[in-house]
Amino acid sequence: MRRELRVAARSLRRRPLLALVAASVPEALPAAVSGLVVARAVDQGFLAGAPGTGLAWLGVLLVTAAVGAVGTRAVFHRLGDLTEPFRDDLVRRVVGGALRNGVAGRADQGALARLTRQVEIVRDTYAGLLVAVRGFVVTAIGVLVGLLSIAPSVALLILPPFLLGLVAFLATLGFAANRQRASVLADERLADVAQAVLRGTRDVVATGRERHASGMVAEAVAEQAAAERALAGVAALRTACFVIGGWGPLLVLLFAGPWLAGQGLTAGAILGGLTYVLFGLQPALQNFVGVVGGSGLRFVVTLGRLLDASAPPPDTRAGHGVPAGHDVELRGVTFAYGPHAEPVVHDLSLTVSPGEHLAVVGPSGIGKSTLAALMCGLVRPDEGTVRHGGLPADAVSPAARVLIPQEAYVFAGTCWANLTYLSPDATTGQVDDAVEALGATALLTRLGGYSANVRPAELSAGERQLFALVRAYLAAAPLVVLDEATCHLDPIAERTVEEAFARRGGTLVVIAHRVSSALRADRILVLDGTEGTVGDHTTLVASSALYRDLVGHWVAGRPQDIVVS
Amino acid sequence: MSTFRATARRAGSWLPLLGLSALAGTLSLLALPVVLGNTVDAIVSNADSLRWLALAAALIGVGVAADLIDAYAGAACVAGTTAWLRDRLVGHVLAVGPHGGRRLDTGDLVSRVSGNAAEAAQAGPSVVAVVAAVLPPVGSLVLLALIDLWLAVAFLAGLVLVAVILRVFTRQTAEVVSAYLRAQGRIAGRLSESLAGVRTIAAAGTVELEERRVLEHLPELHRQGVRSWRVLSRSSAQAAVVGPLVLVAVLATGGVALSAGRISPGELFAASQYAVIGAGLGGLTGMFGRLARSKAGAARVGEVLDLDPVRHGGRTLPEGTGRLEFRGVTVRAGDVPLLDGVDLVVPGGSTVAVVGPSGAGKSVLTAVAARLCDPDEGTVLLDGVPLDELCHEALRTAVGCAFDRPVLVGATVADAIGSRWSPEQVEAAARATYSHDFVSRLPHRYATPLTDAPMSGGELQRLGLARAWRAERLLVLDDATSSLDTVTEMRIGQTLIGDGGRTRLVVTHRASTAARADLVVWLAGGRVRAVGTHEQLRDEPDYREVFG
Repeated sequence: MRRELRVAARSLRRRPLLALVAASVPEALPAAVSGLVVARAVDQGFLAGAPGTGLAWLGVLLVTAAVGAVGTRAVFHRLGDLTEPFRDDLVRRVVGGALRNGVAGRADQGALARLTRQVEIVRDTYAGLLVAVRGFVVTAIGVLVGLLSIAPSVALLILPPFLLGLVAFLATLGFAANRQRASVLADERLADVAQAVLRGTRDVVATGRERHASGMVAEAVAEQAAAERALAGVAALRTACFVIGGWGPLLVLLFAGPWLAGQGLTAGAILGGLTYVLFGLQPALQNFVGVVGGSGLRFVVTLGRLLDASAPPPDTRAGHGVPAGHDVELRGVTFAYGPHAEPVVHDLSLTVSPGEHLAVVGPSGIGKSTLAALMCGLVRPDEGTVRHGGLPADAVSPAARVLIPQEAYVFAGTCWANLTYLSPDATTGQVDDAVEALGATALLTRLGGYSANVRPAELSAGERQLFALVRAYLAAAPLVVLDEATCHLDPIAERTVEEAFARRGGTLVVIAHRVSSALRADRILVLDGTEGTVGDHTTLVASSALYRDLVGHWVAGRPQDIVVS
Repeated sequence: MSTFRATARRAGSWLPLLGLSALAGTLSLLALPVVLGNTVDAIVSNADSLRWLALAAALIGVGVAADLIDAYAGAACVAGTTAWLRDRLVGHVLAVGPHGGRRLDTGDLVSRVSGNAAEAAQAGPSVVAVVAAVLPPVGSLVLLALIDLWLAVAFLAGLVLVAVILRVFTRQTAEVVSAYLRAQGRIAGRLSESLAGVRTIAAAGTVELEERRVLEHLPELHRQGVRSWRVLSRSSAQAAVVGPLVLVAVLATGGVALSAGRISPGELFAASQYAVIGAGLGGLTGMFGRLARSKAGAARVGEVLDLDPVRHGGRTLPEGTGRLEFRGVTVRAGDVPLLDGVDLVVPGGSTVAVVGPSGAGKSVLTAVAARLCDPDEGTVLLDGVPLDELCHEALRTAVGCAFDRPVLVGATVADAIGSRWSPEQVEAAARATYSHDFVSRLPHRYATPLTDAPMSGGELQRLGLARAWRAERLLVLDDATSSLDTVTEMRIGQTLIGDGGRTRLVVTHRASTAARADLVVWLAGGRVRAVGTHEQLRDEPDYREVFG
């Protein structure tokens, strides 16, 4: 809870906060004078046979209400100056964290929900807390001042039970926050499990495991119900604290009443004291307990989860090194996705010469994309080294290589912005040439030229890949890695693209989706789980059983029909 | 019985307790001002106040006890009822099966389980709450009138004034809120785009560029946010002015009555409290809202519970090799026939390929064969027994089914393959479907939680096959190897053929798979167009057309 409170406290910039506090003073006026007004109205007016004076005193109540309203208005006006910068900061954290975690390979499903829902919950509860805590403090001080002005002895009687209830409530907050957090987590877990099971209804029924599946959900349901019951206990505890702090002062005042009257306290003063307790302290405390115990806990819990999930990974900065050449060298590279996992790449050594065109083939799930990520320095090997132009691959500047993955990235914006994403300084002539070379002219014409806006969802997967490929072609990078970047193109378009890249110069690594694209390369790397074999077509037919298997199908059919990934 | 009433009844023994405590709480709330007023009068007039004091303390005690019961028992009651509803819902959806519930998509069902069930569970307590919430305002109005009729009149007049003023400013907020949401939506849309292209961004080192692009509309969000507080400041100020109106009206009327000697100071004090309690009338709309939500939630839950579950018979299978027979099988979607009077016999132990253009009824044929849905007319028999007469256990051990896009269900990979199988059986099935290697590369191998095991389409398909691998009589593959590379598909195909003793019904788009099958069933427009070997059929141009 401390970290969340620290973040919240740091967000309170001094000037808007002072302005907020200043605006709160008139807002507290009605609560501060209410008891005094009633006491005077009764003593000097209605009981003194001067109802006009009484009514005049009540008129004062209306006037202070108007003054208070001006304060309320100013308070909410100032609220935006505190909440909106805080919300901006949260949005920046969420967006930055999601992008950086995504880049570091930690996919994040919840980022959008955090942006649209959790940030809003935090914003609303933050504002609610500001209003309530500030209102409570101001009202309590106002009531105290009012009470002291009627009868200091009454103030002394009321204060101890009030403070006792308040402190007891504050003491329960840490415990309550834990239970609230447990309840939120149980809710989310239930939704996740229900989603996983219900999405698979067909599969559950087909495998006859209805009982097992409903058991999975029932477990989450029971946990959630237990968490709810635990929260109910917290609510009861909160009620008990309010009893001490809210009803305690009233009972004390009433029991002391005869004695106070004996001390010469007037009827009006006693009524005024009771008014302060019942209409000042009690509602203020009730509101405070309700908001802090409800919104406050939601604030702490939601903010905590938001901060956890948005924490950027320790090191996501790209390298800045400029490689001395365009060769890629892997020495004894081993990589696994966890300490208990079998390595995806095991003791692989390979040199790709400058300007060479290498194709990588192998069954799906064998680690080809991992190899592409290793070559581009996006993941570090557990053992061995990956060097690009003599530098460790992860120290190389992104400008020195391009990786185009299977899922091409196109964003809402102009065609031009998308095409020149990696080469902002490209000239129209250069872009024209690239579009022409990769066979994207028809697509660009259909979309309405470079200045037209693209909506990614309206492009087919193949069209999105064309965009990404033109972008890679335009980039100055001397190393290009295409990770099944042409799998949604038809075989002819794929051929156009790969031949254009071969003409473009530089080192080209193609993770091949079809045998036909492997056959265009200078050399072929066959990955088959335990080892990698490199060679040209002739040597591989002799040395790799898997490759023979692939080519065997090719002899029977057309190479572009043989899918190798 | 409606779901709402059933749910309210389910709350059972909690309800009388909740009702009694609400009643006691209300009565103590209403009695307290009078007692407090009398206490004050007794104190002021130096009479014996102890009796009134004790009564006031007792009333406060009763009110507090009622609050505590309400806080705890209400929540506990709702928690229990919610859990009961949720378990029923999930069990029922699974019993209805994929085809009965196909009108409801997953997100919708999840919202019914996680959201609507909790709302519906409020049924019992919300009825109690509405009754309990009506009493205090109405009671305090009556009691005000009893103290002095003019007090009630002043109270009502004040209330009307407040309602009229507060009515005015709900409209402005809607427009500001929607402008705010639009700006937020733009940011979310861009973030979602960038996250989809995160591998490109990682490789290009353009995180900062993307961050700026996503946050481009943040200043607009800020502006709209500040605007929304401005609107709220106006409405809050109005509320702060009119809020004390009711109280002042009652106090003024009461003060005049006090000076005229019609009421005592204590009664004035009581009247001011009744004015405050009576103003709680506004809270009533919230109570009715809760009741309405609960009814709506119950209706949404009820829609699911009203679907007919699939019923199983009690028979088991005789000895056999998995002879599958379709007799006059017709399946309709509305009035459109998906399968139209299909008569077909699949010999036990054979491999049969099902081919045809999309929309020919291939998937429906496999769904009927695996009893994922029942035909509207006709019967499907396995080794002579109609599928709907088989008991659940016998049906699912005999028939296995693998899909084009399998959805894995389970806590871990092993659990998803076979929750009741031994580790050896799980591994054997994984090896047979060439899944063992990639499962071994997961962080915790077979014990890897499914949520930590991102898989490609081909990997999912292989686990989907592994899951169905132990089917004893009939294995149905609905395009279940379409995402595999050619070599792996070949290898699995060979294992499948070599592994005799059961019938295999294989939907496919590949000629090579059809060529390996013993028999090809060629579907078109929901009917069997021809049955024969691939050799026999491939001279027909239409047949070759099917494979593209």
